[in-house]
Amino acid sequence: MILKKNKVYILDDDESVCRAIKILLTTFDFEAETFNSAKSFFDTVSNDDPGCLLLDIHMPEFDGWAVQKRIMDSGSKRPVIFISAENTDIIENRVLKTGAVGFFQKPINYQKLVNLINTASEDTYGMVK
Amino acid sequence: MKTIARANQTKEPLLRKVIHNNLEEQIRQLTDELRIRKRQLKQGVDREKLGADREKLGADREKLAEETFRQQTDELKIRKGELKQGVNREKLGADREKQGADREKLAEEQIYIQTKAMESTADGIFIIDATKPDFLIIYANPAFYSLTGYTKNEVIGKNYFLLHGFDVNMRVAEEIKQSLRQGKSFNGEMLNSKKNGEKFSSSLRIAPVRDTNGAITHYVGSKTDTTLMKQRDLELEEQREELLHVTRVGKLAEFVSSLAHEISQPLTAILAYAQAAQRMFADREPKLQEILQYIISDDQRAAEVIRRLRALLKKNKPTFESLDINVVINDTVALIMTHITVRNKVIKFELDKDLPRIQGDRIQLQQVLLNLISNSLEAMDERSDSRELLIRTSRKDNDTIMVDVTDSGCGISAENMNKLFFHFFTSKVDGLGMGLSISRSIVEDHGGHLEAKNNPDHGATFYFTLPVNMKNNQE
Repeated sequence: MILKKNKVYILDDDESVCRAIKILLTTFDFEAETFNSAKSFFDTVSNDDPGCLLLDIHMPEFDGWAVQKRIMDSGSKRPVIFISAENTDIIENRVLKTGAVGFFQKPINYQKLVNLINTASEDTYGMVK
Repeated sequence: MKTIARANQTKEPLLRKVIHNNLEEQIRQLTDELRIRKRQLKQGVDREKLGADREKLGADREKLAEETFRQQTDELKIRKGELKQGVNREKLGADREKQGADREKLAEEQIYIQTKAMESTADGIFIIDATKPDFLIIYANPAFYSLTGYTKNEVIGKNYFLLHGFDVNMRVAEEIKQSLRQGKSFNGEMLNSKKNGEKFSSSLRIAPVRDTNGAITHYVGSKTDTTLMKQRDLELEEQREELLHVTRVGKLAEFVSSLAHEISQPLTAILAYAQAAQRMFADREPKLQEILQYIISDDQRAAEVIRRLRALLKKNKPTFESLDINVVINDTVALIMTHITVRNKVIKFELDKDLPRIQGDRIQLQQVLLNLISNSLEAMDERSDSRELLIRTSRKDNDTIMVDVTDSGCGISAENMNKLFFHFFTSKVDGLGMGLSISRSIVEDHGGHLEAKNNPDHGATFYFTLPVNMKNNQE
């Protein structure tokens, strides 16, 4: 039985980070799609397209906080996992308040990330790998 | 009838003769009578003349009398005038005397006031006899005694320089003497000793006093205790240093944080690539697996170095205390007042005196204010006609206060407006691009927001909000 692969969207302004995470997640059998700006993400992906979003906080102009706010405001159920090079109590607290499902500091511990993506996708979309 | 009778009694020639005689008598009588009449007439004329004369005389006399009267009147008038003048002169004299007295009184008053002023001022004032070689003090005001700790007896008639204290810089004393000998004033700062040996900083001004001929008769000196001022300057300097240090540390931390972010990105990618490769070659290519593991380990080592560096320069957790934002503003401005004055700028305040207190870190908020004020000053440097900087505090709503820093400088371009608060963004030639991003993160740590907008006319306003410290206000 062929199961549909879980979809993951990666939004980070650093092209190499996007590519590397995509390659790695592909080895975990995810279907990954990358975006370097909030605009290109919203232009391409509609609210109803299922998939987890790996969201970098630190981006010029439209940053991670703004993206998450737009997603929440639109009523989308998309699970969002913040990733950031910085890690402070303040950031973690703020992440929790936005309704995101998780936060990872770069460089990322991928096993935990993979587990969280799977859990969040199942909870939201009821899909299993 | 008698004559006729007589003639009748003579003979004829006799008669004739009688008649003739009679006639002659009659003519004589008539002539006499005429003469008398004539005389009488003349007399009458004379009398008339006399009358006229008399009349004339009367008129003359009247005239004379009038003249005399007039003369007398004139004389009287003159006398009166003279008298009046005399009175006036006397009055003038009295006035002058009064003026003199007034002047004297004024002079006395002035001397009194000047003396009182000398006695009341906190500056130690003393007068030295310049005609003698030893700089002998002939007068000192009470402040001088309390300043030096010497009594009147120990001061008057003594050489001024002996009262300086033993450890006073001799070079300064020589410099003062040199100036005075050349007829110049001296103005300087020095360290003096009191009678009890206690040292004090003072500023001294000595100037020569000249008489009407220009000869120097005295020196007048004024000594001010600057110990407190010095101490205050020192304290301000320390505060400024502390703030600058904190700012420098903050900038360094922010710099490292940005650097760490930039390095973390490729480390993230490298780690992901290496782990992906590991998974792709799982259970194959043991040599490759080993190399990939080395890459992963070194990547993680580098990440760990950055994490530790971050922890080391981690922004100090703010130490919150109850603060009056107006006091924080005044303290901050005091630190850079000289800076503002030197740049020929003016700082104005519109501080709401009834603001509730806030919870905040004093140093961090000073850092924010200093950054905003410095930015405003720099923005105004580009426009020579803009000098005024305005700091305003107000109550935004029940739970929030607001601080505005408004300048009349060059304003912010639409392009820069979006990037203002980014790390490394700067419009300055020598800027690091840290100030505003640090300021914003400090304000956000305080639960407030920092924003910027252009003013309707010119210049920009940076404003931040801070939540009111409810608990402390209820106490």
